[in-house]
Amino acid sequence: MSHPAVELDGIWKRFPGVIANAGASLTVRPGTVHAVLGGNGAGKTTLMNCLAGVYLPDEGTVRIDGEEVRFSSPADALSAGIGMVHQEFRLVPVFTVAENVVLGAAPSVLDMAEINQKVAALADRFGFEAEPTRPIWQLSMGERQRVEILKALWRDAKVLILDEPTAVLTPQEAVELGSVLRQMVSEGRSVIFISHKLDEVTSFCDEATVLRDGKTVASSVAIADVDAGQLAELMVGSVSVQQVAPRDATPGDVVLAVDNLTVVDSRGITAVDDISLSVHSGEIVGIAGVAGNGQRQLTDTIAGLDVAQAGTVTISGTDVTALTTRHRVDAGLAYVPEDRLGVGLAPKLPITHNAVMRGYRTMRRGPMLSWDRARAYATGLIEKFDVKIGRMEAPMASLSGGNLQRLLLGRELSDDPRVLVASQPTRGLDVAGVAAIQNLLLEQRDAGAGVLMVSEDLDELLALADRIVVMSEGRIAGEFDPKQVSRTEIGEAMMGAQ
Amino acid sequence: MAFAIGLIFALIIGALLLSISGDPVFDTYQRMWDRSFGTADTLSATFNRAVPLALAGLAVSVAATMGLWNIGAEGQILFGATAATLVGRIGADWPGPVLIVAMLLGAAVGGALWSFGPGLARAEIGVSEIITTLMLNEVALRLIRYLQNGAWKDPEGFGFPQVEARPDQAQLGQIWERAHLGVIIALVVIAAFAWFLNRSVWGYELKIAGSSPKTATYAGISMRRKTLGVMLLSGAIAGFAGGIELTGTASRLSENISNGFGFAGIIVAALALMRPSGVALVAVAFSAVQVGGLSIQTLGVSPAVSAILQALILFGAIGAAVLSTYQIRLVDRKVAA
Ligand SMILES: Nc1ncnc2c1ncn2[C@@H]1O[C@H](COP(=O)(O)OP(=O)(O)OP(=O)(O)O)[C@@H](O)[C@H]1O
Ligand SMILES: [Mg+2]
Repeated sequence: MSHPAVELDGIWKRFPGVIANAGASLTVRPGTVHAVLGGNGAGKTTLMNCLAGVYLPDEGTVRIDGEEVRFSSPADALSAGIGMVHQEFRLVPVFTVAENVVLGAAPSVLDMAEINQKVAALADRFGFEAEPTRPIWQLSMGERQRVEILKALWRDAKVLILDEPTAVLTPQEAVELGSVLRQMVSEGRSVIFISHKLDEVTSFCDEATVLRDGKTVASSVAIADVDAGQLAELMVGSVSVQQVAPRDATPGDVVLAVDNLTVVDSRGITAVDDISLSVHSGEIVGIAGVAGNGQRQLTDTIAGLDVAQAGTVTISGTDVTALTTRHRVDAGLAYVPEDRLGVGLAPKLPITHNAVMRGYRTMRRGPMLSWDRARAYATGLIEKFDVKIGRMEAPMASLSGGNLQRLLLGRELSDDPRVLVASQPTRGLDVAGVAAIQNLLLEQRDAGAGVLMVSEDLDELLALADRIVVMSEGRIAGEFDPKQVSRTEIGEAMMGAQ
Repeated sequence: MAFAIGLIFALIIGALLLSISGDPVFDTYQRMWDRSFGTADTLSATFNRAVPLALAGLAVSVAATMGLWNIGAEGQILFGATAATLVGRIGADWPGPVLIVAMLLGAAVGGALWSFGPGLARAEIGVSEIITTLMLNEVALRLIRYLQNGAWKDPEGFGFPQVEARPDQAQLGQIWERAHLGVIIALVVIAAFAWFLNRSVWGYELKIAGSSPKTATYAGISMRRKTLGVMLLSGAIAGFAGGIELTGTASRLSENISNGFGFAGIIVAALALMRPSGVALVAVAFSAVQVGGLSIQTLGVSPAVSAILQALILFGAIGAAVLSTYQIRLVDRKVAA
């Protein structure tokens, strides 16, 4: 009888003010894709970090192929065959694909031509397309993720941990990732797959373990025996997940107008090419498109973080093109940027500092900030948006991925903005969180806000948006009424086929 | 605790070093202690010396809150002292307290003036403040050299190039033994800034700006204004230190009125982990080690050994105290695969 590839038993991990893992266990059979599920802050990432040598568990045992191990670093874990792809990638932007793949594990005699060839062969074996000589900075998020996976495979990882890998992928890329994972397990490797998207779990995982509040509440459930609904119930408990109820919009005046906007990015590439669109109060306009087609530059420019080469941005009738972010906020804009930690939050500062980033100007007492009011405000946000935290003084980055997101969204929505621009608003949220945020977006719309929402999740756009605008290569490739359009039509527009 | 362990380790290694170099271990340590903390006289002198170190450390750490490196505290101290001297010449017959306040304010303005250029260049066109502030150190030094040979040359200096002495009444009072009022002033200034940076809107915005320029812009904070503002403030604090030196321990402006305090301030700030609230304590330790280290050279300990000893104690003790905020755990490696 062969041993499980991975066996975690009674894992405890405490942080100041929170218990991330409270005796969690996990058993992964060799040759399977094993899903680890659970709500935001359930302890999934922490448990994986304990397996991958990032953290040492406070208590509990880790067994690999039946043998007890204690990893004191990720390198330790890697040499025992455990590779992890984190949500934030750890690649060197100016290095090529091949250089990143072999970094730290290169043969002693460097023959780049040979390495390039070997990396290409490795990629080929798993059905990846990878050009070994391209620098990382030129790659999309999906392509970068493949480099991370190749890195682990280059070191011959027997167990690959993927923490919310599909959050940064387009639906098409997610399907491709699924087939790569099947290829890996057919070679006898195991994959641990974290995701909040249950359709992915049911379509390419074999078994699932569910965590709740740091404990394992269901272990190694065979996916064939359950449906998505049952999984959701295991994750969030018996509370029924509130479904979004689409209602008809009653659009009013134009609150956000973008006219002939052109944005050239730092690499000199025209990222936004002569785009015009408008958002009325009381409607949700969805922007669909494959990631990297100018969506980020469009929203950043609306918010005043990027500079327009040509064209204008008008918020509530005020031409804000030449105005600063602060004036745009005063004109009624709220912005949820795609890069939460790099733009929307200050990762090293305490939670309170982050919670008041939008409203601190209203909490001043002369030149001083009223920290009492700031703390009260932060506490209110945390309660209202169900953010799971340890201590208020803890750095923002210690929050789990989904909880970061909740705080940021809550902060931007809390003062009923007139215009809300939100990039991937539900990315990384658990099922309950997705429903809550979607309902909130609808509420804002019904209360008269104009919402511009960028999402790679077509189903989400079809369910929420009143109009869908497709972006491709920095241009608008079509505008659709979600009630009358098919997924294929949108898909074709996304690929640039007009 | 960690401080004590680090100190003991440093002293043991230092003892080894001293015995290798053939110096008397016990006497050397005895002398170091006597000359830094041992008597009321030396302790008060240690405090005096800690004042400019602490203020320079404060200046550096304030800029570092926003991720800026003010390497020019030295020049700002020098120019601050120069500006204070100018005020002293103008108000030579003002009453002492008025003149002192005016000179200290002048010193702060002078320091700010000295960091204005680097701040502006950084804010407007992104020129590295590290280079510009460093270059201005040299300029401030040359300026003093020029003044002591030219316009401000002391007519009673017997031809010796020195600046005329500042007015006698501009002398900070003694508070305890040799310690002057500057010790209290520095403590108040440091406490006030630590409090202000933690509690004010300005300090909050500074921290956001230090987190990332993108986040600051997103939050509606002008990076340009913050950059210039914090550089001016940092320069003003360093300049103020120059004013305190002039009215506290020195009697006239000179090339070595700063004695490298501006550079040492960078180390002080770093050892205080760039926290304004920590600079006072670190500065006292730094000052004691420096004073003690110099004193043993009169025992025949070579300057090189003395320097190594100073570094050992400083980094051994303070470094250990700082590092102990991190957790170190022993890992049983036997069971590793
Ligand atoms: N380094 C840390 N310091 C303090 N608290 C932490 C740290 N890492 C995680 N936590 C806390 O532990 C809990 C579990 O976090 P974890 O990241 O494991 O959740 P998760 O299941 O991955 O959630 P998500 O789905 O939102 O990514 C959270 O409440 C989080 O705030
Ligand atoms: Mg996570």
